Amino acid sequence: MQPPDAVDADFEPGSYAATATRTPLIIATAGAVLGSIFAALSTSDFMQHLDRQVHAIHCSFIPGAGKELGESGCKAVMMSPYSSFFRESTWGGIPVSLWALATFAFLAYRAGVLLWRGKPTRAETQFLLAATLLPVLMTLVYGFLSIVKVGETCKVCVGIYVASALVFVGALMAHLKNPAPPEQGRFPLWFAEGVGFVAVLTLVYLLFTPSPDVKTSMTGCGTLVSGDDPNAVMIPLPSGTGEAAIEVLDPLCPACKAFDERLGASSLRNKLDLKAVLFPLDPTCNWMVTEALHPGACAVSEAILCAAGLTGEKDEKASQDVLKWAFKNQEKLRELAEKDEGALRNKLEATFPKVKGCLGGTQVKAKLTKSLRWAVANAIPVLTPQLFVGNARMCDEDSDLGLEFTLSKMLSKQGKQARAAVKRPAPPKAAAPTVAPKKVAEEEEANP
Amino acid sequence: MTEGQKQLGLLGVALAVPIILVASWARAANTRLHESEGAAKDVAIASVSDDSYCTPQLKAIIRRVAGACGLIEGGGGRGCQPMEAKKVAALSGDDFNALFKPLAKRAHIIQFDSSKTELDPEAATLIEKAWSDQRGASFFFVVSRASTDGAADYNEGLSRDRAKGVLTHLQSKFKDEDLKNQVGLLWLGEQFAQLGDEFCGWNRSRSTACTAMEINRSAFVAWIDCAI
Repeated sequence: MQPPDAVDADFEPGSYAATATRTPLIIATAGAVLGSIFAALSTSDFMQHLDRQVHAIHCSFIPGAGKELGESGCKAVMMSPYSSFFRESTWGGIPVSLWALATFAFLAYRAGVLLWRGKPTRAETQFLLAATLLPVLMTLVYGFLSIVKVGETCKVCVGIYVASALVFVGALMAHLKNPAPPEQGRFPLWFAEGVGFVAVLTLVYLLFTPSPDVKTSMTGCGTLVSGDDPNAVMIPLPSGTGEAAIEVLDPLCPACKAFDERLGASSLRNKLDLKAVLFPLDPTCNWMVTEALHPGACAVSEAILCAAGLTGEKDEKASQDVLKWAFKNQEKLRELAEKDEGALRNKLEATFPKVKGCLGGTQVKAKLTKSLRWAVANAIPVLTPQLFVGNARMCDEDSDLGLEFTLSKMLSKQGKQARAAVKRPAPPKAAAPTVAPKKVAEEEEANP
Repeated sequence: MTEGQKQLGLLGVALAVPIILVASWARAANTRLHESEGAAKDVAIASVSDDSYCTPQLKAIIRRVAGACGLIEGGGGRGCQPMEAKKVAALSGDDFNALFKPLAKRAHIIQFDSSKTELDPEAATLIEKAWSDQRGASFFFVVSRASTDGAADYNEGLSRDRAKGVLTHLQSKFKDEDLKNQVGLLWLGEQFAQLGDEFCGWNRSRSTACTAMEINRSAFVAWIDCAI
């Protein structure tokens, strides 16, 4: 075989290049097609959530072969703030997987053209190689975010990473084996084609995706009877100094953890003065639930209240430390409580010595009941998480992918005006009985 | 097919396939969104408890006591006289006590020494435990009695002081503003609804032997899970 850089007088660059680069280009094309399939799968998952309902997420390498709900790595990654961009201006944002789809489709087109036509020039393989660096770079960035920031890996994402490596290796081999002499390429045109793929798909996405009702986004779904905290049950959360907001949460609820992370990653958190109302979905203390959705949530909630201090000024840092720790170890804590709640209480006392002597006591139990009764007094739904901005309740369907969009609308000037115009509901009858003496007397007469 | 045609063909396919997919997914999401709008959301609303034992008779008693004790808007002063309790209940003593029997797991019986109103440490602890187990209940009832030893008037005052002793302890221990809206006192003296010795098997502040006389030197405390 002639070395690529030793071209003799009767060398026909076209035919030689076609033979030498065929296999690498097949690899690159296959990698790009594979990447397109995985990116399409991920985009499909994301777009299913644009109908604001709960869906299964594909978590199998083979589309349709396996679906997992809720707590899969795919769900965690998709709900993370890194899954899409422009979340404040578009409901859910533009998924990064859409751009991956555009990029892989473009790479499949470029590699496919070179393969079909044969005779690739050095400039063409050089451009293909340069273009494949983008998915490689994104693989490094998203692999890091997935492992370090989100703490979960998504199988479909791993498929995209593998496809990125494959297309890069194919392009690299094609360029290295290409014996054609260097020549001037049409780099601006090719680059424009790539940009065109991304732009066209983004435009189609924005044109066809469902538009939210902006008025509902601004006013939310329901209001508090009163956002006051007469029994000092609210726990300050890390936030800014903006509008008062209340997050109703369960420290062992995975959705609350994910919600907290999304809110934490959003710059909008700094525009809120955020406090938490503890609402453990655990029948040990919560009479409104019949089965332990999150075993141990009552004990952890008690620990948070104990850390904050039951009277006087609250120790914000101590309570936030317990909450942060609970979010981080949710699964283990739930498992431990399911087996033995006493062991969970011991673990809480060992980890946070400050709660010793308070945890499990009558005072903190009474305090936790007050926290639950705050929910009763406001007649809020029995679910977590819930976010109230001012007195307006963010709609549940807006609290995942649409969080940033909805929150930015609620906090806008128009949003504040719209929320101010919403009439507050009357206190629930059962929570605050208002039977007048006369009525009592009438009832007594009716029931001698 | 020329090279240009090949390139255009591939470009068309590479661009058209994702466009069609994205557009179809978006349309499907849009359709589902509109189909789901207006659908009822099956989520419970946070509320106080209203247990199955809350019979109309029990609720009538709760309303009367809550009104007379100032727990509900426009109610009178705290505390109910024995005769009033009898009238309100419009029941025999046994029937009155039977209304509270479903509360066996919720209720605690705070025992006192003969002719005494002071709480011993066990009684104080049991009162605190009972109070902290509010859950969804709206009212905390203290129904105090006296044994048949001594004069009826004396026993009426004794049972009143026992009920007030429980309230005073709660106020000093919990300093809770809601106390005034939630605690209902009913003192029965010796004249109405004396407890039988079957109540000795309930959760008491004393583990010593128990007779019908001793079980009536007591205050029955319980959160009532009834919404009125």
